[in-house]
Amino acid sequence: MSEPAVAVSGATKHFGATTALDDVSLTVAPGEVVGVLGVNGAGKSTLVDLLAGLRRPDSGSVRVLGLDPVRERRAVRRVLGVQLQQPRFHDSLTVDELVDLHRSFHRDPVARDELLATVELTGRRTTRFEHLSGGQQQRLSIALALVGRPRVVILDELTTGLDPRARRRIWATVETLEEQTVLLVSHAMDEVARLCDRVVVLHAGRVVAEGTPAAVVAFVGADDLEDAFVRITGHDPAPDEDDRDEDLG
Amino acid sequence: MRAFAMLVLGEARMVVRDTAGLVVPLGLPLLILLTSTGDAAETEVAPGRSALDVIVLPIVVTTVVAMVGVINLPSFLALYRRTGILRRLAVTPVSPLMVLGAQAVVGVVQVLLGTGLALTVAVVALDARLPADALAALGVLLLAVATLFSVGLLVASIARTPNAAVALGLVLFLGLGAAGGMFGGSDQLPGPVGVVGAALPYGAAREALGAVAAGGAVPTTPLLALAAAVVAGTAVAAATFRWDR
Repeated sequence: MSEPAVAVSGATKHFGATTALDDVSLTVAPGEVVGVLGVNGAGKSTLVDLLAGLRRPDSGSVRVLGLDPVRERRAVRRVLGVQLQQPRFHDSLTVDELVDLHRSFHRDPVARDELLATVELTGRRTTRFEHLSGGQQQRLSIALALVGRPRVVILDELTTGLDPRARRRIWATVETLEEQTVLLVSHAMDEVARLCDRVVVLHAGRVVAEGTPAAVVAFVGADDLEDAFVRITGHDPAPDEDDRDEDLG
Repeated sequence: MRAFAMLVLGEARMVVRDTAGLVVPLGLPLLILLTSTGDAAETEVAPGRSALDVIVLPIVVTTVVAMVGVINLPSFLALYRRTGILRRLAVTPVSPLMVLGAQAVVGVVQVLLGTGLALTVAVVALDARLPADALAALGVLLLAVATLFSVGLLVASIARTPNAAVALGLVLFLGLGAAGGMFGGSDQLPGPVGVVGAALPYGAAREALGAVAAGGAVPTTPLLALAAAVVAGTAVAAATFRWDR
């Protein structure tokens, strides 16, 4: 059996008195597209931080392709591409300049033209990041996560706040990722149902359900994934705008 | 190496496009020079050297280095941290040292441009004389840059917000400057303040630059004080560096 792309074992993380992750275990096979679902405060962002090596677990272990994201930071960043929630880059640099900057971080980066064509930003090459629309910023963020030909990609809140057309364009981009393992962290049930082979539902820092979208739906006798999510967590999956920044970690 | 060069280029583009950000490194040295010179150019304080050469220009240069290093540098880093740019860079293969290094290089270029412009005006319009030992002067300048930039990195590591970085940077800049002779000679300060101020980064840099400008040997004490501050500041800044809030 090949090595898991992502292996989280008994990971626990506290912030003061708050438990963000409580004995979370998760395995993702190479090439899988796995959705991580949860309401605000469920621990999704903390899980992303652990996988990206931005934080250490208090206990348990986290591995990406067998590597420790904190101790083997550079090696992990060569195989891991991360699109963080709310894309932030140097505002006054243009699309071309940002792509060139991020290409320089990697040994065998994707060609600039190819990358921009993938995310349909070829016509925005000389536009500064601050002047891109939300959807364009998000697509650029995805492009920059893919620039180093990562074997594992984390996409955090891929389409939050975007209009339906922009969401569909981003989904189409994700659907082109055939060789990568993808961890899609989301609130959006339709997005996860469409893109993911498997879903993991986090609630109050624990994994409370796991399986294919159809299996999770069937397990609780729900009509669809959104209904299943509500039944499992007792929460409406659509968060209030004001709650977003309260996501732990 | 290419990544570092691209980071430097990116930082430089950011600075150039932020026109207001060029006021401090380019405009301030000229302003200080023109408002502080008075009759300093006619007052000889060392053989063949005027007060402009030995007192005013070292203050101009040290002040610019201190402003860029202690105020500009940490405020940019704190802003990057606040807006999530550092967090985004943290998930790429670049190291924190590379990010700090790129900021420092762009800061040094700003200092060199600013002081170069001020020195050119001083020589051409005010008959100032540059230090006879240009290499020694450059060495002291680079040591001063390293020292005051390490103070800036320290500020960046402590301050949690851009406003806090500016506030802390300003307090340190004014405190170090006042104690180090920015607003008048050290002999006009209360005894202990003058002594301590001369050993702190601003005072030590100003004194060392003044000594080079006067044409004499640079005293060991300010050089040691500067070197010690570089080591301490950089070590603490590296140990406490945060990508995230």
